[in-house]
Amino acid sequence: MIDLLQLVVAGLSTGAAYGLVGVGFVAIHSVTGIINLAQGEFAMVAGFVAIALLGAGFPLAAAAVAAVVTVAVLAGVIERVAVAPAAGSSAVVYIMLTLGVSTTLKATALLVAGPQPRALPAFTPGVLDLGGVQVRPQDLWILVATVIAAAALYVFLERTTTGRAFRACAEQPVAARLVGISPSRMSTLSWVLAGIVGAVAGVVSSPVFQTDWNIGLFLGLKGFVAASMGGLASIPAAILGGLLLGVVERLVAGYISSGLQDAVAFFLLIILLVARPSGVFGRTGAVARV
Amino acid sequence: MSAEPAVAERADAAAMAVEGPGAGRRRARRDLVGLAVLIAAVVVFPLVAEGQVVFVGVFAGMFALAALGLSLLMGLAGQISLGQAGFLAIGAYTSAVLTTRYEVNSLLAAVVAVAVAVAAAFAVGIPILRLRGHYLALATLGFGIIVAVVANQWEFLGGQSGIFGIGDVAFNGRTYDEPGEQFYLLWATVIVALVLARNLARGRVGRALGAVHDSEVAAETLGIDTFRLRLQVFVLSAALAGIAGTGYAHVVGVVNAQSASFQLSVELLLMAVVGGLGSVWGAILGAVFVEGLGEALTTFIPRVIPGASGEYQLIGFGLLLTLSVIFLPGGFVQAGRRLSGLGGRRSAGATVPGPGPASSGGAVAVREQGAAVEPLLPREGRPPPGTVVLRVTGLERHFGGVRAVDGVDLEVRTGEIVALIGPNGAGKTTLFNVVSGVLPPTAGTVEVGGRPVSSAARPPRPHTVAAAGAARTFQNLQIFTSMTVAGNVAVGRHLRSRGGIVAGALAFPARREERAIDAEARRLAGLLGLDDVVDTRAADLPFGRQRLVEVARALAAEPDRLLLDEPMAGLAAAERADLAHLLRRRRAGGMAILRGEHDMEAGMARADRGGVLDDGHRIALGPPSAIADDPAVIAAYLGTDDDTALPPPRTASGTTADGTTAGGATAAGATAAGPAPGGAPAGGTTAGGATAAGEADRRGDGGGRA
Repeated sequence: MIDLLQLVVAGLSTGAAYGLVGVGFVAIHSVTGIINLAQGEFAMVAGFVAIALLGAGFPLAAAAVAAVVTVAVLAGVIERVAVAPAAGSSAVVYIMLTLGVSTTLKATALLVAGPQPRALPAFTPGVLDLGGVQVRPQDLWILVATVIAAAALYVFLERTTTGRAFRACAEQPVAARLVGISPSRMSTLSWVLAGIVGAVAGVVSSPVFQTDWNIGLFLGLKGFVAASMGGLASIPAAILGGLLLGVVERLVAGYISSGLQDAVAFFLLIILLVARPSGVFGRTGAVARV
Repeated sequence: MSAEPAVAERADAAAMAVEGPGAGRRRARRDLVGLAVLIAAVVVFPLVAEGQVVFVGVFAGMFALAALGLSLLMGLAGQISLGQAGFLAIGAYTSAVLTTRYEVNSLLAAVVAVAVAVAAAFAVGIPILRLRGHYLALATLGFGIIVAVVANQWEFLGGQSGIFGIGDVAFNGRTYDEPGEQFYLLWATVIVALVLARNLARGRVGRALGAVHDSEVAAETLGIDTFRLRLQVFVLSAALAGIAGTGYAHVVGVVNAQSASFQLSVELLLMAVVGGLGSVWGAILGAVFVEGLGEALTTFIPRVIPGASGEYQLIGFGLLLTLSVIFLPGGFVQAGRRLSGLGGRRSAGATVPGPGPASSGGAVAVREQGAAVEPLLPREGRPPPGTVVLRVTGLERHFGGVRAVDGVDLEVRTGEIVALIGPNGAGKTTLFNVVSGVLPPTAGTVEVGGRPVSSAARPPRPHTVAAAGAARTFQNLQIFTSMTVAGNVAVGRHLRSRGGIVAGALAFPARREERAIDAEARRLAGLLGLDDVVDTRAADLPFGRQRLVEVARALAAEPDRLLLDEPMAGLAAAERADLAHLLRRRRAGGMAILRGEHDMEAGMARADRGGVLDDGHRIALGPPSAIADDPAVIAAYLGTDDDTALPPPRTASGTTADGTTAGGATAAGATAAGPAPGGAPAGGTTAGGATAAGEADRRGDGGGRA
C-alpha cells in the first residue's frame, strides 16, 4: 500500500510536468491549429539557461525567473521568424517546420552544453515523511508550480481583455478578426504563453528529470499525449491528462518493468488517438467530415 | 479533404498525374536522360572516389531507399510519417537475426526482412491510418519510439548492445566485402526502386492518390477506396525502409536501437523534404545531399568549436529543414524546374486560353444542334427502362437536434430525370450526401440497384456506393485542384480501369489502359465543351466550367445513376441549355438522373418527375404540372396568407418571395423562364457564382481546421 502511494505521489509530480508542457500544446493549437513539436525543447532550453545562470553565481530564484523570461522571448521570436512566414500552410508543413526548429534547438544545446545531462539542485533539500510515504520536496514544488502556472493562465484568459481576445481568437477566429483582434498578434502571444509554461516545467522538473539535450523529445511527446486526452482543446484536461499519464507510467515502471516506462505514453497515445480522437475528457460530438 | 493550402507543399507531385500527351512525352524523355546520368554517375563514382567517400555514398544509397518510400507517402498520399526509422530497424534486426543466428544467406534474409516490415506496416497502418494530419504524424512517431524501446528491452534482440558481428553481404558463394561492391549492390537496388516508383506515380495509382490528396470526398465518390490506397502506399514505403534496413545491417555490422531512433526518422524526412516531396528524383538527390552535408559537418564543426562533441550534423539538419520548408517548399526538384524553365504550375496557369464561359458554351451548342435527342452512352447490361435503380426509404439524417432530412421516400428509374427541388436549407445536399454514402443516415435505407448500400446499421463508404454504379457532383465544387481537366476526368475512369500497384510499377502492362483512359477523358471533356482547356489546370478555370468538369468526371464513371447537386448553378445560359440537352441524351441512353435544384421552374422545366423538399420533408412528388399546382408546394415557396411577417413577394422578378435566396434563385428563374433573354444570363452567372463561391470558402475554412 505504501509502495503504491509512493508510486502515485512520484507519478503525480512527473505527470504535473507533462501536464504543463501539454498546456503549451493547447495554447498554440487552439489559436493557430499548429502542433508545435518544439514544445519540449522550451523546457530543455529553460533548464539549461537556469543551470548556466546558477553556475554564473545568480541566486536560484533569479536564475529560474530569468530562464522563463528568456524562453518566453525565444518562443515569440521563433513564431515571428520561422512560423509566421509559413502562414496558411497545411498541418504537415507545420509539423516539418516545428520539427526543424526542435532539431535546431536540440543541436544547439548539444554543441553548447555537451551530451552529458545536468541538473538544477533540488529547491529545498531533504525528504518529507507523510505517514510512511517518502515525498521529495521537489515533487511538491512541481505540483505547486503547476497549480500556480495553470491558475495564472486561467486568470489571464478569463479576467483580462487580452486574455478574452485570445479566447475569442481560438473559438471564433473570423468573428474575432471582425471585431479587430489581430490573429497574428494572438499567434505570437500563444507561442509566448507556451514558452512560459514549457519553461516553468523545464525549470521545476530539472532536479528530478535532469536536463539533457534530448529530454525535450520525451517531455514534448508526453506533453502531447497529456494534451490529446483533452482533445488538444482544454487546459484543465491537459493537466488532468498529464497527471494520469504520470501515474500510469510510474505504476508500469514499479510493477512491470522500468524499461517499458517510456513506451507507455505512446501505447496510450495510439490507443487514444484511434479510439477517441476527441480525447478522454473531450466531448464526443458527431463531426461531419464534409 | 485537405483544403487548398495543402497543395502548395506538394512540389509537383500533381504534375505527375496525367497531362497532355506532349507533356507526358517530354517528362518521360527527361526521366530517361536523368536515369542515364544517374547510372553513369553510379558506375564512375567508386572508381574515382576514395574509400571513405565511397562509404558515404553507400550510406546515401541505403537511406535513399527509405527516403524514397517517405517521399511517395508524403508527396503522393499527403501523409507524414515520423517513424520511418522504425521500419528500417525492423528490416535491419530481421536481417541481423537471420544471418547471425540461423546462417541464412543475405538475399533470403533480405526478402524475409522486407516481408516482416510489410507485415508490421499492415499491423500498424490498419489502426492508425484512420488518423489525419498531426495526429497521424504523432502516432507514427509513437510507433518509432515503441520499436526503439522494444529493441532495447528484448533480450532476444540483444538488448541495449544490440546484435553485432553481422557479416558482409554474401550469396551464391560470393562475399561482397569491398565498399565499391557494396556501393554497386545498393545503388543498383536504388535505381530499380526509382524506376518502379516513378512508373507508379505516373499511372492510375498515382493519379488516384493525387485525387485523394486534393479532395478525399470526391475521390471516394468516384470509387476510390481511399483507406486501402493509403494503406498500400504506407506498406510500400515500409517495404522500401525494410530494404534499407537490410543494407544497414550489413554495412554497419551492428544493429541496435539507434537504428530506430527519432533522429534517423528526422534525417530521412529531411532527405525527402529537401529533395522535393512526391518526386522520386528528389528523394535520391536529398539523400545524397544530406549524407554529404552530415559528413562535411562532422569534419568541419570540431575545427570551429573545439571540444564540441556529440552529433554535430544535427544542427545543420535542423536549420536545413526549417529553411527549406520556409524558402523551398518544393525542394531541389522544384528549384531545378524553376531554373530550367521547364514549367511549374505557374507557367501552366499562364498559358490558360481564357475563353469566357459563354463563348465556349456556344461552341458546344453548335456541335450538339441537330443531334435531337440521340441516345448517348447506352451501356450493355443496363437495366431496362423503368426499372427502379435507386430507392430511398424513410430516410432521416439528424445533426444534433436538427432534422435535415426527415423521413424521405424516393424512387428513381432508369431513363428518367427526377428533379429534387427545395429552397436553400431544405435538405437537398444532405440527402445527396446520404444517398452517395458521404454521410451515414440516422434512419432509413438507401438501395442502389435493389441492394441496400446504406443504413444506420450499415454505415456506408462512398466508394462502395460508387462501385454499385452511382456517381455524383457537388454543389460546393470538389475539383482536384492540382490536376488538369483531363486528369480530373481520368480519375472518373478509376472504376473502369484495373491497373494496380504491381502493374503500375512495371508500367508496360498498364500502358495500353493508360492511353485508353486518357483518350476517353479527352473525349468526355470535349463532349462538355472543355476541349480547349483539357490540358489546363482545372483550378484555373472559371467557376461554371469547373462545374462542367465535375459533370464530365462523374460521366466518366459510366454510372447507371447520376446524382447532380445543383448542376446549373454558376452556368451561363448557353451552358445550361447544352447541359440539359446532354442530360436528356444520357437519359435516352438509359441513365437514371437525380438532380437537385433550388429553383422551381428551372428544375421542373427539364424533369420527368419532381420531388419537393421542405424542411427535411418531401412535401410533393409527381409530374411537373402537378407539382406546380400543389398547395403544399405553393405554401413552401410563396408562403401562405398567414405568413404576413414575411416580406411581400417581389413582383418585379415575379418568381420568388424567398428573401434569403433572392439573388441566385431570381436570376436563375429569369433565365429559365424566358427563352434566354439578353442580359439575364450574365446576372445569373454572377449571382449564382458568388453565392456558391462564398459557400466554398466557408467549407475551406472548416476543412482546414478539421
